[in-house]
Amino acid sequence: MIRLFHVSKVYPPNAAALRDINLQIDKGEFVFLTGPSGAGKSTLLKLLFRQEEPSEGQILINGKSVTKLNNRGVARLRRQMGLVFQEFKFLPYMTALDNVALAALVVGAPRRESYTKGYRLLCDLGLKEKCNAKPLALSGGEQQRIAIARALINDPIVMLADEPTGNLDPASADETMHLLLRIQERGTTILIASHNHDLVQRYGTRIVSLRQGCLMDDAERARGEWAR
Amino acid sequence: MTWSQLGLVARQVGSDLWAQLWTHVLTAGAMAMAMLVFGLFLLLQENLQSLLKGWGDQIQVNIYLNKSLGATEVSLLRETIQNYPEVERARYISQEQAWKDFQAALGSQSNLLEGLPQDVLPASFEIAVKAAYRDGPIIEAVAERLRKEQGVAAVEYPQEWVNRLSRIVLAVQGLQWVFGGMLFVAIFFIVGSAVRLSILARKDAIEIMQWVGAPPELIRGPFVVEGLIQGISGAALSVLGLWSLFLFLHNQLATPMDPLGSLGQLQFIDFQSVCFMVGLGGLLGTLASVFSLRRFMTTWKG
Repeated sequence: MIRLFHVSKVYPPNAAALRDINLQIDKGEFVFLTGPSGAGKSTLLKLLFRQEEPSEGQILINGKSVTKLNNRGVARLRRQMGLVFQEFKFLPYMTALDNVALAALVVGAPRRESYTKGYRLLCDLGLKEKCNAKPLALSGGEQQRIAIARALINDPIVMLADEPTGNLDPASADETMHLLLRIQERGTTILIASHNHDLVQRYGTRIVSLRQGCLMDDAERARGEWAR
Repeated sequence: MTWSQLGLVARQVGSDLWAQLWTHVLTAGAMAMAMLVFGLFLLLQENLQSLLKGWGDQIQVNIYLNKSLGATEVSLLRETIQNYPEVERARYISQEQAWKDFQAALGSQSNLLEGLPQDVLPASFEIAVKAAYRDGPIIEAVAERLRKEQGVAAVEYPQEWVNRLSRIVLAVQGLQWVFGGMLFVAIFFIVGSAVRLSILARKDAIEIMQWVGAPPELIRGPFVVEGLIQGISGAALSVLGLWSLFLFLHNQLATPMDPLGSLGQLQFIDFQSVCFMVGLGGLLGTLASVFSLRRFMTTWKG
């Protein structure tokens, strides 16, 4: 599913964010990327959804190199991905449903289908009553669920989340994690960057640790075993 | 692009234009002012050309004859002139006729001619040149040949004025494109800045669209359409301004104050020129927008 071969990223003039990373993530895995601030977690995610290009190495997603892509290629790549970030980035003048449906409309889905699917997703995520609310009028947890609904509407094969619980209280953070687990059960590969140690230990099965741009550890255990 | 995407572009353009109405109005206004100057040159050029054409239609060569020329020689000369391929017709004006015409031209002041002999004016031929030959060098050549004919004392033709006016038209055309060029650069930056403001205002929407994999044309499309609309509306406003100015000149200045009555004959730019101006405005707006997008949306980053 996701393969990284000797991937490095150096920001000018000479700041190495990632050094010689080799990583393989299979379909349907639920992987945490951990490490302190500046470890390179967000940079790695940015390389995967091609916000950044690697300085060295190769990245393959579904067998296709994403290292050198033109604008159209980047757009195609991102249609296979769901992106969830700490900042939700909604259009404040649109309703929750509009924000979710927009993601389907821009990739060419018919309007009716986009809205129907958006509505179903919001219902699934427990936001049936909030469809017509403006996102900024909702709580942090609700906003995160809208962001997840938006990420899911195009049926992504990979979901990348950068500190998805960073702005949430513990209850909302748990709710979000349960939601992501449910999405994984459908077969979606999930990669979460987080430095929330507690969250990683409670929900992690595979944990990839980064420090100063280097891959320090890559270990797997059954869910919950990390916390013991 | 699918219908839903086209609808999205249309809605985006509509909401952008509405959200930044004053920016767009001011941009279109600034553009209209710039294009108005171009339009004024176009108006001037077209009217000068029309004047030139009018003069061209009236071009005639006058030849004045030696007083000693007899009736037979005049008849022979007429025949010779009529055989020139460039000549449409040749009208003979006798000395008596010339005197009468001169008197009539002077009207109430014809008494000034008292005491002058009636044969003071020479007989002449008024020669009309065929339309196909009403060109500077050709008329000059015809005049030169006429000058060499037996019995011809002098040759006169208004080519000097036609040439001067032609040079003025060329100068106006040159100025039009020099000023126009400068104004187009200004328009480019005016529309470009407005598009840049739109890009900044829609930064979040653009970012979201990029995240979810919207095709580039969907992200750039609304800005290009906005540039096109601004260009067309600016140019249309300038045509409207030009029309108002034209009406003002036509109605207010075409009075007895205008000694030649020429302002009364002022013509508005033709339909083709109106279309040219509007099309040019649209093209400039679109190009400015594309240029701005290249400059301010160079990376495909979220």
